[in-house]
Amino acid sequence: MSSNPITRIGGGTARWLSQLGALARFGFGGAGAAARLPRAGRAVVLRVTLRQIRFTAVHAIGLVVLLSGILSFLVISQAIRELGQIGATSLIGTLIVVAIVRELGPLITALAVVGRSGTAIAAELATNTVMGEVRALEGMGIDPRQYLVLPRFIGAVVSLFALLVVFDIVAIGAGFAAASLNGMTGNRYAEIVLRSLSARDVWLTVAKALAFGLIVGILPSYFGLSVRRAATEVPVAVSRATVASIVGVFLCSALFVVFG
Amino acid sequence: MTAPLVFEDLPLSRRNHAPFSLSVVAHHTVAVLGDEDSGIGKLGGYALGLETPPAGRVRVFDIDMDTLSGRERLAFRRRVGYLPAGDGLLQNLSLRDNVALPLRFGSDASPREIDGRVNVMLVALRMAQAADRRPAQANEEECRRAAIARAIAFDPVLLVLEQPFDGITARASAELLEIARGGETAEGARRTILITGQEIPTVVQRRCDRMYRLTRAGSLELETV
Repeated sequence: MSSNPITRIGGGTARWLSQLGALARFGFGGAGAAARLPRAGRAVVLRVTLRQIRFTAVHAIGLVVLLSGILSFLVISQAIRELGQIGATSLIGTLIVVAIVRELGPLITALAVVGRSGTAIAAELATNTVMGEVRALEGMGIDPRQYLVLPRFIGAVVSLFALLVVFDIVAIGAGFAAASLNGMTGNRYAEIVLRSLSARDVWLTVAKALAFGLIVGILPSYFGLSVRRAATEVPVAVSRATVASIVGVFLCSALFVVFG
Repeated sequence: MTAPLVFEDLPLSRRNHAPFSLSVVAHHTVAVLGDEDSGIGKLGGYALGLETPPAGRVRVFDIDMDTLSGRERLAFRRRVGYLPAGDGLLQNLSLRDNVALPLRFGSDASPREIDGRVNVMLVALRMAQAADRRPAQANEEECRRAAIARAIAFDPVLLVLEQPFDGITARASAELLEIARGGETAEGARRTILITGQEIPTVVQRRCDRMYRLTRAGSLELETV
């Protein structure tokens, strides 16, 4: 290994770019494979997708409700107390929409999905690979991206969108509870929240669900399928997938702030 | 006679100095046996283009696997039945769904047609009772029957079977080989079959047209049964 720092940085960058390229090929290849699905294959993919949505979205509703409720209740309670002292309680509308609905909601929901489903996807696909199931699929002429990756990707996108909607509804509801407990009337709360909400927030929610779903669906699948033969590679793949997904979600969130 | 499967000068392992060459003649059942570290386990992967040999070449139906793109290889593999070592059944699917999977993804048949074909295969392989079990709930013979059914789902003329008789009785092995052969023609079995593994039961050896053993030196010796 070279001790020249420039060579080391160059080597590291080249490896990183190479992995990024492989990831892009994996993603685009998956999209191409999806377009070639036969009718009976589509039915199988739909069935697996529904199973994925049940696990990723339905089973995670309790967790998202809990996180959203507590976060919103705490933030709004504190905000009303602090902003009340300077007579700026009308700003809690901006706070709940900008901080919770637009930024923290998608971020926390995506992290919850990475923790629950991203790890599960990586572990499942890595195990499939180690058990020789992926090789068997290829041997039968089935593109593993069609059967294994596509349903998980669609499931992640749909689930993230659904969970984001749940998160936002619960956040606004918990904010209302916090506001009521701190002496604000329901009408006043509804007025300042609705004034801050715009169509842009709806589009941002859809765009973030799509982007984060892409990350949560593709990255764990990529790392899961990148193992070779040894069972010891499974936890490594899960760890890499989790770290990459978390970093991806944060980077993507930052890009939405910069370009959104 | 034509040879649908030809291996030419493949270096199978570092231990073996002699390159491996073999032609599997049409309608023949050929077994190639060898130690676990002989590299014999790579032949199936090479034949299906799942792995690329470092040297030499593999021709299947006179097509050089190296010349095919990834997508063409996937389509090409539907012409070759494959039973990987360890069966490769998907653990989260029932045996029935495992058998149906290649048809669902590799054919334009309607779901009803596929179900009908799968039911016929399940009955032919005497596994209708176990069809709704998952691999973990089924015994080894039932799993092997499902894996054979899956391998012949497209009714291929060439079959590559890796360790197909490990862990099952000689009686079941003979029965599965007959099903894999797909009946008899004037030239021999309807299907051409390559079997790889460490050992196969004597009753199966008798049904093979050729049986080779890869020696420790790497040479391929014809064995007589």
